[in-house]
Amino acid sequence: MDSNIETRLIFIAPTSDLTPDRIARFIHNLGNEISVKETCYGVVLQGPKDAVKRTLDEVRKMDPNRIYSKIRAFPMGDLRRCRAHHGSRPGFAQLEKEWKDLCLVEQGLICVEKGEKPPTPKKRQKIPVNDLRKLIDEVSP
Amino acid sequence: MKIFIMPPNSLILFDLVERFGHEPLSLMKALRDRVTSNEIEAPPLNVTLDDVKTGLKYAGIEIPSGIRGRLAIYGPLIDQAEAAIFMEDAPYSFGCVGCQRTNELAKLLVRKRKVPILSLDYPANEDDAKDMVVRVKEFLEGLK
Repeated sequence: MDSNIETRLIFIAPTSDLTPDRIARFIHNLGNEISVKETCYGVVLQGPKDAVKRTLDEVRKMDPNRIYSKIRAFPMGDLRRCRAHHGSRPGFAQLEKEWKDLCLVEQGLICVEKGEKPPTPKKRQKIPVNDLRKLIDEVSP
Repeated sequence: MKIFIMPPNSLILFDLVERFGHEPLSLMKALRDRVTSNEIEAPPLNVTLDDVKTGLKYAGIEIPSGIRGRLAIYGPLIDQAEAAIFMEDAPYSFGCVGCQRTNELAKLLVRKRKVPILSLDYPANEDDAKDMVVRVKEFLEGLK
């Protein structure tokens, strides 16, 4: 495959009102001559690198703090990965977890935009021994 | 600048690094060439003879082959890194023990290079997330 071709995933944060369908239609209307595929979390783009970049910049403008993206190694519809061909999907647990966290990251980006000082987060501590003992007693009395 | 991210396929870190004007060194880019090459039948499960040799540069012969194979891909990225961001405390579902051990060795290799490193935890709530994004932004701006 041509090294100038890039495949990109575009994720819509769970808090956004946008739908994959709307983004796919918007990309078709841009006429940047790239392929678009709707997915459950957003869309997959594939095409020349500069066209994909231009498209991503336009899509981001729709909802800057709720649209995220990363590149993908496998080409769009690759038989080894595509679910339509019973491809495996390792790494989906990570994508799912990070997708759920996007609404938190969005709050961080808003904080940066406003130039606010972030609150000091509470330090995570280890579970006290007595609490752990109670949990063990509950499970195996 | 080229920023090594850990987990190397993280969506959140890839997006934030790109958003704040740097180039993320990700696993996806490194795998792209292998995945689209005709020489490997079922990437990334297969490795070539060259990968085994490359892996030896980063992990000794006594290291399990799975970890050495992974490091053949991570290693050249680490060599290019001018800074790094680590996100710790990932859920168990992110990968097997082999992935975890590879990540630990990769982090050690990055630390040995003495490049600027930012260590974070996966955010559990809004306050954590605000702190995380602000720290990533300040770290990346400080590199320019």
